[in-house]
Amino acid sequence: MKRAIYVLLTLGVIPTALAAAGWGDLGKQQEEAFTWAKWWTEPVWPGFWMAWTRATLAFFIFIFASIALMAILEIRNPGGNERVGVLGLTTTRGDRLFISLLGSAYIFLAWLGLVGTPLWAPLGIAFLWTAFCFWKV
Amino acid sequence: MKTENQRGWLFVLPVLILVAFNALVPLMTVVNYSVQETFGDNLFFWHGVGWFEDVLRSDRFHAALGRQALFTFTILLIEVPLGVAIALAMPRKGFWVSVCLVLMALPLLIPWNVVGAMWNIFTLPDIGLLGYFMNHVLGIDYNMTQSPLAAWVTIIVMDVWHWTSLVVLLAYAGLISIPEAYYQAAKIDGASNWAVFRYIQLPKMKRVLTIAVLLRFMDSFNIYTEPFVLTGGGPGNSTTLLSIDLVKVALGQFDLGIAAAMSLIYFAFTLLVSWLFYTIMTRNEQ
Repeated sequence: MKRAIYVLLTLGVIPTALAAAGWGDLGKQQEEAFTWAKWWTEPVWPGFWMAWTRATLAFFIFIFASIALMAILEIRNPGGNERVGVLGLTTTRGDRLFISLLGSAYIFLAWLGLVGTPLWAPLGIAFLWTAFCFWKV
Repeated sequence: MKTENQRGWLFVLPVLILVAFNALVPLMTVVNYSVQETFGDNLFFWHGVGWFEDVLRSDRFHAALGRQALFTFTILLIEVPLGVAIALAMPRKGFWVSVCLVLMALPLLIPWNVVGAMWNIFTLPDIGLLGYFMNHVLGIDYNMTQSPLAAWVTIIVMDVWHWTSLVVLLAYAGLISIPEAYYQAAKIDGASNWAVFRYIQLPKMKRVLTIAVLLRFMDSFNIYTEPFVLTGGGPGNSTTLLSIDLVKVALGQFDLGIAAAMSLIYFAFTLLVSWLFYTIMTRNEQ
């Protein structure tokens, strides 16, 4: 009698425990937990054109916003704020933006090639470089 | 404040739309590809900056970049002085002007893949006119399908043949725009031919030569068709220039992510060199 109870208990308990541990889920789509990193980097419009992610979208919004800012500054203060900088170049503010962006691209590439990830340090250097460009170049 | 008529911008709009779709949209797509991995079927997975790291540290990329730099440097070193010399030797007026101009323009009119095919057949050692002549009449061992040196000499000579005319035409345009008064003044001062070239002709050609060097730099740095048809990047990898390597990665291996990262690095190089060059050449003009 006792043995029968044990057998019944085992038969009931083992499958329940296995199911709780994920037995039987094989081949089923798993629900992934939401993370900001995933939200930021997953396809925005899956299957659509150009393979956009939020990260690359933000990058281009930043670039176009910078150009738009230059246009607004030019309308409010025409003439391009031309001057001769420390490098001996005559630059307008658009030139300074171009030099900042191109220089930043090289700062990131150099860091990636020589050091690797993460890229927080070159981000800081790129900000310093941009500040230097708009201040002195 | 004076109000200006800005309606002229509307006329630029069609070009802007065209450029957006044939340059800007593809470029933005390449940026998107460069941080993702795909196995086809328009499915993409995030990969971060890994492709950039791989490309920047790959020996294969360094080798292709080195070959590309050597190629561009060599052809610029030959084509620019040669083009200026030919332009100086060309007649300034009379019947022969048009003959020379047409002759000069001919290589520029030939499609790039045809240039590659022509030179391929021309230089093959057993059937090509040049190849056969070199091997069987002069007795020089010349085989661009086997020897890397011969392959390099062939692609450089081919590029010089194809593109020196462009430098010639630009330099010639600069030369004929110099007023006769300059030459008369030089004659009165008893200036030598070298002095005339150095202080009158060269400064007057500076602008067009800037354009010539920029165009030749960009075109040769991005060259694909002619060496691809002529040597296919071989023998071995000896003439695999950057763009040939890029196409092998992108289309041959369908590694879109790594190919996109390669293109962006390639783009950064072209942008920097062109900007530096333009800035240096136009620096003292204000």
